Amino acid sequence: MAPQLLIVLVFFFWPAITALRQSLYVQDAFGLGETFAGLANFTRVLASQSYHEALFNTAIFSVSVALGAMGIALLLATMADRVLRASRVYRTLLIWPYAVAPAAAGVLWMFMFDPTLGVLSRALAALGVHWDFRLNGHQAMALVIIAAIWQQMSYNFVFFLAGLQGIPASLLEAAAIDGAGPWRRFWTITFPLISPTSFFLLVMNTIYAFFDTFGTIDTTTSGGPGGATRTLVYKLYQDGIVGLDLGGSAAQSVLLMLMVGLLTLVQFRYVERRVQYH
Amino acid sequence: MARLELRRLRKRYSGSTDVLHDIDLSIDDGEMIVVVGPSGCGKSTLLRMVAGLEAISSGELVIDGECVNDQEPAERDIAMVFQNYALYPHMSVFDNLAYSLKNRGTPKAEIAQRVEATAQLLDIGALLERKPRQLSGGQRQRVAMGRAVIRKPRVFLFDEPLSNLDASLRVQMRQEIRALQQRLNITSLYVTHDQTEAMTMADRLVVMNAGRVEQVGTPMALFRKPATRFVAGFIGSPAMNFLTFSVNTLPDWLPRVPAETNEPLKGELSVGIRPEHIALTTLEDGHIEGCIELVEPLGSESLVHVRIGGHDARLVVRHGGMELPEVGQVTGLNFQGPFHLFDRHGQRLSTRLRLADTNCSMES
Repeated sequence: MAPQLLIVLVFFFWPAITALRQSLYVQDAFGLGETFAGLANFTRVLASQSYHEALFNTAIFSVSVALGAMGIALLLATMADRVLRASRVYRTLLIWPYAVAPAAAGVLWMFMFDPTLGVLSRALAALGVHWDFRLNGHQAMALVIIAAIWQQMSYNFVFFLAGLQGIPASLLEAAAIDGAGPWRRFWTITFPLISPTSFFLLVMNTIYAFFDTFGTIDTTTSGGPGGATRTLVYKLYQDGIVGLDLGGSAAQSVLLMLMVGLLTLVQFRYVERRVQYH
Repeated sequence: MARLELRRLRKRYSGSTDVLHDIDLSIDDGEMIVVVGPSGCGKSTLLRMVAGLEAISSGELVIDGECVNDQEPAERDIAMVFQNYALYPHMSVFDNLAYSLKNRGTPKAEIAQRVEATAQLLDIGALLERKPRQLSGGQRQRVAMGRAVIRKPRVFLFDEPLSNLDASLRVQMRQEIRALQQRLNITSLYVTHDQTEAMTMADRLVVMNAGRVEQVGTPMALFRKPATRFVAGFIGSPAMNFLTFSVNTLPDWLPRVPAETNEPLKGELSVGIRPEHIALTTLEDGHIEGCIELVEPLGSESLVHVRIGGHDARLVVRHGGMELPEVGQVTGLNFQGPFHLFDRHGQRLSTRLRLADTNCSMES
């Protein structure tokens, strides 16, 4: 059997099937026995207030991170694309954040925004903003969004820059001669031509925001204060690992998987139609 | 419809030497100027400076009496056809044609009407809904032309527009472009490295070499009286042959005494002879002898390459006869003139030279 197939089986299908099975059972506290519970885990999870809150948080968080990370990356890539010769240095510098582990990135931002020690908190205080993400849920959400955007931005940047550099210069020159200003050139020529890249990144960023931001959230806010930054993946971890509700946690992971699968499907169905492959 | 004037145009990239040196050129209303030269001679840079895609380092670019140095490409009211056509790949042919009109806020009804008219002009009416990738090379070329024509610009610029087409299509398109340009009577600047294209399309030719203009003139004037050795070698196909002589040892078949000369000739002299002005003959009748190295039959004529021993040169002879000479054969060559003489700097000698043994004279 092909080795890659084996790897997929062991590291993807086996855990997925185990999770699926586990979501249908209720486990005792010591892990010594389990009882078949049907869909009880799912109904319990779906009915709970905190799950709804986490769902809402995830929506806010994911949309902000995906749009923020892609928007800023596109802006930077456009700027880098203009100074082509300098772009190698620029590119390297902008890729660095991606090499930083999510947890380290979280800690970095936590320090900068620390209510008592952080440089940025001090700057905000000077502007008259009372900053304390440990008490203010909105500020906590803003912090994790910023940290997550910072992390994902460099990934997007690399793809956007490659996309931009793939557009022949003569197209933009032709557009300039045809009377289109820089702004109009961007929206009528550049943006449509990098839409395949944008679409790919939309899918990747959604997946990132849903799953890969766990480390960032865990080190900065741990889902707090009062669950204000508890996203679906973080709640799943808290309920399962901390709360030892294995069945409920497994049900959440199955739901999360379905949700992301569905979202990706929707993106392929409806967003991809507007993508200009050429 | 415009007069275009280039006054001492110069291009310098920071930290390097000049790539264009004081280009002076004046283009009349409705005239087709073809700039020709080897790659790297600066002809494309010149075109891009006129288009506004490259900054002008010094000198003036004047359209209809107005200096446009600092104007954006869009303000100059020019249109350009790119080598790779630069059609917008995500737009239909209709949208490609309409793009410049939309950018200028033309009313929808007028856009539709002008696209229709342009499509008819270029015979691409059936392709309006297609995307560029669904078109053949020739069709793309037409769409690119249409995009240039549609907004009736003051000046047309062409940047080697035919170099991506196959040979037969190239011949057809060059005739079409020329016909269209004459019909619309639009002042045009056309850049190419292909001398045949240049000769056939130009009202006047500009031959460029290493960032300088070598000569400007009608194709026939340049062919008959090339001002420099470079122009002589570049214009005409197959290229002119050159033999180098020391002034002291000029051959019998060349006049030994220039008739009117201001200063005595020094050093070496290049004698240029076109392939059609050399005839294969017997050893006794020939001015010079050589060994046939290669014969290229073209049907109506053949190109015979002859190695000349003493000069270490290879001459190309246009041979009209139906029977082909044999490779390896030693043959005599008869030079019939006109001859083109260039001094050691490659400048045409401004002297009236006369052949001793014929009455064939050549003006310079």
